[in-house]
Amino acid sequence: MAEPTVLVVDDSPTVRKIVQMTLQREHIRVITAGDGLSALTSVADEMPALILLDIQLPRMDGYHICQIIRKNLQFRQIPIIMLSGKDGLFDKMRGRLAGSTEYLTKPFDSAELVRTVKKHLVNWQERMPPQHEGIRTRLRRRG
Amino acid sequence: MEQQDRIMDGDLQTLGLQSILKMLALSGKTGTLFVHSGPETLSISLRKGQIVALREEGVPQPDLLVMLCLVNKLDPQRAQKVREYAGDNTQVALAMLVERNWMSPSEMQRRLEFAVTQSISHALRWVDGRFAFHRQLVPMENRMQALDIDSTLLEALRQADEWEEMGETHLTRTAVARWLPEIHNDVRSLGLGQEYIEVLCLSNGEIPLQAIALVLMTPEARVARIMTRLLELRLIEIVDTALENEVQQDLSNLIIKCQTILTRKQQSSNPEQHLLGLVTILSDCINGLLAHHSRYAKSLRGRGQIPYPDVIRYLERRFSNQFQLLSQQQYPILETIEFTNGRLDCTSILTLDKLVKGERLEEFYWEAVLGLAAFLRMVFAELLRDEMGNSHTGRNLNFAWKAFLTEIDQEIHQYQIYRAQRSAQLTRGRDAAQPAPMGIIQDWNHVPDNEGGPYRSPESRRRLN
Repeated sequence: MAEPTVLVVDDSPTVRKIVQMTLQREHIRVITAGDGLSALTSVADEMPALILLDIQLPRMDGYHICQIIRKNLQFRQIPIIMLSGKDGLFDKMRGRLAGSTEYLTKPFDSAELVRTVKKHLVNWQERMPPQHEGIRTRLRRRG
Repeated sequence: MEQQDRIMDGDLQTLGLQSILKMLALSGKTGTLFVHSGPETLSISLRKGQIVALREEGVPQPDLLVMLCLVNKLDPQRAQKVREYAGDNTQVALAMLVERNWMSPSEMQRRLEFAVTQSISHALRWVDGRFAFHRQLVPMENRMQALDIDSTLLEALRQADEWEEMGETHLTRTAVARWLPEIHNDVRSLGLGQEYIEVLCLSNGEIPLQAIALVLMTPEARVARIMTRLLELRLIEIVDTALENEVQQDLSNLIIKCQTILTRKQQSSNPEQHLLGLVTILSDCINGLLAHHSRYAKSLRGRGQIPYPDVIRYLERRFSNQFQLLSQQQYPILETIEFTNGRLDCTSILTLDKLVKGERLEEFYWEAVLGLAAFLRMVFAELLRDEMGNSHTGRNLNFAWKAFLTEIDQEIHQYQIYRAQRSAQLTRGRDAAQPAPMGIIQDWNHVPDNEGGPYRSPESRRRLN
């Protein structure tokens, strides 16, 4: 069975590497982006099965990215887990209003991260019909 | 596979794999035999009673190209070229090696035959499990000449017997070994044979015993014996995946915690507070690492509940000398920090503002930041080497750690730029505004970018917005 792809969007290389390392151990393919615009490019290119999204990002914040993805018919089904150092109710509400599926507060526990990601990856293949494959995936398939 | 295609099934306790294969060979059957035991499945394709292909599931598939490179049987550049076409498909890779004359056709045949024999030999040791024979042939990659079941069985049984003869051993076919980090002896002086050296070369913390046997075309029992000897010689150690998982999780949590605090502390209002924040983060991180090491240090593992004074003694023995050297030779401010109860007590630094003010205080903080950052590096390097050695997990953790250190270094670097610019301004006397009293920049968050000390990196400024 193919591995699901998770996109990790965080401006901190430390967080990106730790999340990548943790999820790869669970046989999950991980791609990363360090800013908002690269994140959107990766979503279009790779059609990830799930997105882990930091809120404070250069060029475009996480709320904005979340709203853009939710407004796009092709990508709106992708679960988005917000990652943030802010744990106030207001921030969580704002994340929910922007369309996030779940909210994880930093510093998060690796086991909790894996649990949450796995919870939202159940039936990930059903959410991704072939015509919704990302550009890069399609190119790979052709190549 | 359709139910009606199944012409025979049963459990291995009633009819063993050896008998099933002999029966199918005698009757010259064509079809696929599936044998299941626990998570493992063996699919053997037969044509007219001969083995034409075999697939083993539930066992990690080794990367043959990497292993051939490790034992100097294949040039890494050639391996790369083959991988570009063959991907992870071993059979295609072997065929390409033959096609390019980098391997003889007979060697390919021997390798494929060995893989079949090894898998059957392993399955012959299964006690519980089920089998089913279907008359349809499952499509499988097949580059091998058909094998006679009798001779294959004979060799497989010999290998299985060899394993049984080993008796009690803690090694399994999935055991992964790696070189011990501290090898003081010259390996050549130990007089090890070629086989030993090859197993040693393949013990890189990633390749299981079964895969080493496959690439060397040596029975698993023989590889297990070699590994046992290498263990006795303290040249390798066995990797404990569960433990590595636990260590990775613990260190990841610690690094993420420190990184989050680092991000939050960037919001301090002046350089003194910022440096103080860094002192706190660095000391918390060091203490976190020491606490982690008290649980996972190699010499403390597997000894059950160890009295806490023993743990403290171990930590002090391991790290206090380095800390003292650092404070005596490079960063005297560290002498005010106590290394007691297996942790750093930075109270004296954190309350230094009650004794010293202004520029002098900032200098002390700065020295403490540099000293603690140096000690932090030492602690992590020592800890990782001891707990993880040369493992894949160790290397991964090292990458994550370097990323975190880069973030700390960026903060330190920004402060260095601020200091340099401030001192340049004071020297030139060009600053129209009154110099900040006692080295504290007024209105910290509005220091101009180009002049007057861009203390904050664009990254930090963005995070504050």
